[in-house]
Amino acid sequence: MMHRDNADIRGRLDPPSAASIREVEPLAPLDVIGLTKVYRDPMTLRPFTAVDGLSFTLGRGEIFGLLGPNGAGKTTTIKLILGLGGPTRGSIRLDGRDPRDPAARRRLGYLPENPCFYDHLTATEYLDLTCALFGLDARAGRRVGSALLERLGLTAHARKPLRKYSKGMTQRLGLAQALLNEPTFLVLDEPMSGLDPIGRAEVKQILREERSKGTTILMSSHVLAETESICDRVGIMNGGKLLEVGSVPGLLATGVREWEIAVESLPEQPAATLRAAGHRVESLGTRWLIRVVEGTALQQALSLLTRSEVFIHSVEARRETLEEHFVRALSRGKAVRS
Amino acid sequence: MLVLAIFGAALVVASQVLSPLALGEGKKVVTDFGLAGSSLLATLLAVFLGSSLLHKELDRRTIYAVMAKPIRRAEFLVGKFLGLWTTTGFLLAGMTLMVLAQLTVVHRETPWILLGSLLLTLMELGIVTAFVIFFSSFTTPGLTAFFTISVIVTGSFAEQILYFGGQGESPMAAVLTGAFYWALPHLSTFNVRGMVTHGIAVPPERMAFAVTYALLYMGAVLTVAGAIFERRDFR
Repeated sequence: MMHRDNADIRGRLDPPSAASIREVEPLAPLDVIGLTKVYRDPMTLRPFTAVDGLSFTLGRGEIFGLLGPNGAGKTTTIKLILGLGGPTRGSIRLDGRDPRDPAARRRLGYLPENPCFYDHLTATEYLDLTCALFGLDARAGRRVGSALLERLGLTAHARKPLRKYSKGMTQRLGLAQALLNEPTFLVLDEPMSGLDPIGRAEVKQILREERSKGTTILMSSHVLAETESICDRVGIMNGGKLLEVGSVPGLLATGVREWEIAVESLPEQPAATLRAAGHRVESLGTRWLIRVVEGTALQQALSLLTRSEVFIHSVEARRETLEEHFVRALSRGKAVRS
Repeated sequence: MLVLAIFGAALVVASQVLSPLALGEGKKVVTDFGLAGSSLLATLLAVFLGSSLLHKELDRRTIYAVMAKPIRRAEFLVGKFLGLWTTTGFLLAGMTLMVLAQLTVVHRETPWILLGSLLLTLMELGIVTAFVIFFSSFTTPGLTAFFTISVIVTGSFAEQILYFGGQGESPMAAVLTGAFYWALPHLSTFNVRGMVTHGIAVPPERMAFAVTYALLYMGAVLTVAGAIFERRDFR
């Protein structure tokens, strides 16, 4: 923050020039610095650190995934970002503003985890209420709301009380109310929760479209495969701490974990030789799969199979998945703490 | 509607049962019973509906999506206050109109001065509702109901508390009861039921004083409630 303060003071002292205008950095949609939240047990007054010294910044038009097991501090972090609680230490800035300032939330959309809305209202009425809370023009808001309900497949249920909605439908309405103000920053707590595969694909498509419009998206998720396919960067949290932050390809081991050689048939002799060399050989009905851990061993295995006149169907490299990396990061975090 | 129906039925039954015993004072009995009953019912509704109002929002987490919008927490509280006051106020007005209708039909007289009592009871109801919102901004529904009823009871006897505090020998007790007297809402200011039952209209200056006092008191209680709620963490 210091460099921004200095730039601000310079700006007040010196006449503006083209060079100084170029120096001004655009404000980050989200800037979290040393965020710590300590709760006290109401009975024992014993302190409990839910979030511990979190720092990260989101750029414009980026999808950032916050990953972590239950109780990692993801939802607390999100609540602090939304101003639903105050930090014990550290700071949060939404486009340079404190999130507790209502003006900071004017272009913010939020989908809560397992959303729950006023269930005596219909979807149309709830979107009208949301529109009023954002201070939007009622007619324009109604138009955007109808388009969102159409886009999320809720038009046929728009006049049904929300108490009759399924979990998936409530989740879709949650996304609709989050998008109603055409946000520049979207905070989604478990957006894929309760959705069927088609619903997940639709939500992913909507998120990609929002990103292409320049919307910054912060999402927490347990569905790592979904996160891997959509997020530009992820942060892995556990015990209130941010263990790792980085792009998905950057976080995942760049090296190949193992090679998979698929063959049509495998005679007894080469199979025994491969097993003796420490490779895993599995029969998959009409095909065989040989798993080789190392690159040099791959060359040897391929030479052996060629010599034995075995028809090689395919050779594939298997890299680490986000799920495997996630588990490894958590166990590494636990080991460091112990 | 159910409350109105029950009240209407109770009013008719009370009129039939009590009027013959009132030795020609049936009109007064109906007026007194009707106004006291409507005030009590509206107050109880405000306390018991209101004490769980905020708690339900937090418990069901409906508040999260609302508070993430560009509104202040104090605005949310004022909205809850106005909603509850309007609901109970309409009920109170409905019950008072039933009393008027009963008097018009049975006793062939329409004492419009009852509307003065209605206005002041509405103000009293506003103060009670503000206290419900104040306590529910930081405590549980059970404690909210308990604290609000305590305020209603002590607020109805504010003058007596000051009097008995001054009768003792301890100057500390006198100071404390004095502070208590000024802090508590003077709910007896709004009780004009005795006057209107006896056919006396509420003087305009008393009306003006009571309305001003009530509005200022509600404003003060809601300001403190807003400040407390602003600092509350939603977990």
